[in-house]
Amino acid sequence: MGFGQLIARRMLLLLLVLFGVTVVTFSVSHLVPGDPARMLVGQRASQEVVEQMRHQLGLDRPIWEQYLRYMRNLMQGDLGISIRTQRPVVEDLVIFFPATLELALTAMFLAVAVGIPLGIVSATRKDTVADHVSRVLSVAGVSTPLFWLGLVALLVLYGRLGWLPGSGRLDPFIVPPPRLTGFLLLDSLLAGRPDAFWSTVRHLVLPALCLSYVHLAVVTRQVRASMLEVLSQDYIRTALANGIPGRSVIYRHALRNALIPTVTVVGLAVGDLLGGAILTETIFAWPGMGSYVVDSINFLDFPAIMGFTVFIAVGYVLINLVVDLTYMWLDPRIRAVG
Amino acid sequence: MRKSKRPLVALVALLVVGLLGTSCAGKKAEAPLKPAGVPQDTLVIGVAEDADNLDPAVTVTNNSWAITYPCYQRLMRYKVVNGQGSTEVEGDLAESWEVSPDGLVWTFKLKQGSKFDDGTPVDAKAVKFTFDRLRAVGKGPFDAFPTLESVEVVGDYTVRFKLNAPFPPFIYTLANNGASIVNPKVMEREQNGDKGQAYLAEHTMGSGPYRLVEWAKDQYFKLELNPHYNGPRPKFATVMFKIIKDPSARRLQLERGDLDIAEELSVDQLEELKKNPDVDVREFPSLSVVYVYLNCQRRPLDNPKFRQALSYATDYEGIIKGVMLGKAVQMRGPVPKGMWGHVPDMFQYKMDLDKAKQLLAESGVKTPVTLGYLYADRDPTWEPIGLSLQSTFGQLGIKVEMQKLAYATMRDKLDRGDFDLAVGNWTPDFADPYMFMNYWFDSEFFGLAGNRSFYKNPRVDELIRQAARITDQAEREKLYRQAQEIIIQEAPYIFLFQRNYMVAFRKNVKGYVFQPMLLNIFNTPDMSKE
Repeated sequence: MGFGQLIARRMLLLLLVLFGVTVVTFSVSHLVPGDPARMLVGQRASQEVVEQMRHQLGLDRPIWEQYLRYMRNLMQGDLGISIRTQRPVVEDLVIFFPATLELALTAMFLAVAVGIPLGIVSATRKDTVADHVSRVLSVAGVSTPLFWLGLVALLVLYGRLGWLPGSGRLDPFIVPPPRLTGFLLLDSLLAGRPDAFWSTVRHLVLPALCLSYVHLAVVTRQVRASMLEVLSQDYIRTALANGIPGRSVIYRHALRNALIPTVTVVGLAVGDLLGGAILTETIFAWPGMGSYVVDSINFLDFPAIMGFTVFIAVGYVLINLVVDLTYMWLDPRIRAVG
Repeated sequence: MRKSKRPLVALVALLVVGLLGTSCAGKKAEAPLKPAGVPQDTLVIGVAEDADNLDPAVTVTNNSWAITYPCYQRLMRYKVVNGQGSTEVEGDLAESWEVSPDGLVWTFKLKQGSKFDDGTPVDAKAVKFTFDRLRAVGKGPFDAFPTLESVEVVGDYTVRFKLNAPFPPFIYTLANNGASIVNPKVMEREQNGDKGQAYLAEHTMGSGPYRLVEWAKDQYFKLELNPHYNGPRPKFATVMFKIIKDPSARRLQLERGDLDIAEELSVDQLEELKKNPDVDVREFPSLSVVYVYLNCQRRPLDNPKFRQALSYATDYEGIIKGVMLGKAVQMRGPVPKGMWGHVPDMFQYKMDLDKAKQLLAESGVKTPVTLGYLYADRDPTWEPIGLSLQSTFGQLGIKVEMQKLAYATMRDKLDRGDFDLAVGNWTPDFADPYMFMNYWFDSEFFGLAGNRSFYKNPRVDELIRQAARITDQAEREKLYRQAQEIIIQEAPYIFLFQRNYMVAFRKNVKGYVFQPMLLNIFNTPDMSKE
């Protein structure tokens, strides 16, 4: 199967996933007791006002009609209006998603950029001090609760030492750069604003470090394990026996093969980072999707909850696609067999 | 092979050094720009939640009122008596007013010279516009004006309100956030006949000392001076509300001086903060009460003797000491201390298990009985309160089953009366015992509306409805007192405690006046920093 075929097949799958996800979330969110209309108008509003609001939200229609209406709008890119913020859900996603993505990608970058070399060092220098240190670090990373790590990092690096800011994406006394992409790093570069860029970097460091640590540990362990396995294989020994330089063997032959399982881990981690950012976002007052979704759930904000779920489901399918494409690129056998 | 690893090690080392470098270099770069703390003419308040909607005709949440209250003015405002807040009101935009003997017609004369933040004068037309809009929008805030029939412009600065039935709290409700006078020019921003709701949801158009200049969602609000404000110029040119959801992070920022005020910290955090010489923890008795609803429509809770037994089997002192660390006082009847209509010598239940056992026997209810206790994790005190009831009721053979649900689900069950025991908080919206007596006990307000015990007593209905029709305050107090005497005997609620309102300031913040009716709202125009 070629790249094109894979993509076409996945797009079809995406439609199925979308259908499944919307049916499930729609049913669940409408079966949960609790009346969003009442949440919206306040606890002391009269029944008349509540009814009027229900009508306005379309909540007085049969559920299948509500679903059809929802799907029709969804196909036009309209996710409805958030009950809580009273803004179109798409607009809310546009406000909050880039913040989460910026944080998740930075964390991912840290995890990969540090985790892979660390794993290689650990594998090629098995049972040396470097290996032990990296293993201790990664075991610690896998077993440290994120909220604890975040609070300690905040207490030390912000509270005690004052090296880094403790909350938000940008110093509130700095005028934010005009919003083009929603990624503050990019926006401030595009606007030619070193002060905003620098402030953004400083705000990113703490949450990104905390968020990346667990994944850094996972990546390191994965790379180490698969490198060790690959390095013990006959073709590596043959290559070394034939006098090919060790570096070349490691990077050209061993690493490429060892990376395949790592790609899976990284692919899954992206989804995890997006979802798992909730705790980090709360501790560091990061204005992202995580807190938006939690607030929406507490408010029974159906359109927002569904919009987010659909968004993440589509994201997962796309990430899996990227992972599979990467496999193909890394391993010609997968390309051949399909 | 050995040689080949060096670049790798170097790469890792470089990354680590780079990361550390970022943080250290950051400190150097920022240090001269921003000394510790916030500028003198800026006040930064750390709040726990973002606001939902800023339209005074729409929002009913304290988070939003904190932002809108200083951006708008109202006809009335809460009085400061001897430097302390009160539940009395005085004119704000209103210069004087008179009421017809039947209490149906209220005529207000407005102060001249008040202006909205675009320079438009605040006149009788603006007042009429505001109340017509409030009615047309028809959301929560309009509930405070149940008998309002019409508003008429009498002269440029004279406006007349007509009520279709007397509503004594009326003058107090005019100090509500919902009664904020809105610039009629908002209609230029109208979309699809929404009366400017979409625009006002995110902007302010009032005549208050401040106006909103920026709302970075889930990050902060920035208020700046209204250049046309008709009053003394506030000391703070900028007021910021930073949204920091994690309480530990809020506390840390206050201690570092990045916040001047931190709200909604837990009692134990506040106790710790008292040790910090730069921080001042202030404490005020509030009108916010915590009480337990006993579902009077359900067996065996429909039996008044049984309910009395529960009231005697509640460890009030233990709850106040253990759960609130002493930062609360036990309620004495439904009207809290500090609100007129409170009866200082009203009968008060105390924990007395012998008495409870005796009443239980008299009630004829056979034990063991199981009662559900409905709560949510919305308020951290709700769970320990339930556990306390579980332990003391258990000694009577009454088993309490803890039923924790999502807040929205809990509210739905409350509204439908689908519970045995449930816990809740209540804060008055306007300074009148009506907020407690009529909402909690009128059998027309079953469910979330207010009567959450589903309590029905025709005599009580009669007394409180009469009290809500007449304007003579002394007469009303008498009626409410009679009603309270019946209620306390019938014990439809367990009256637990009134909380103290606690807030942590940097020591140099001066001029704060606690207004019991304006929880979480700061009198920023009168405040300053040394």
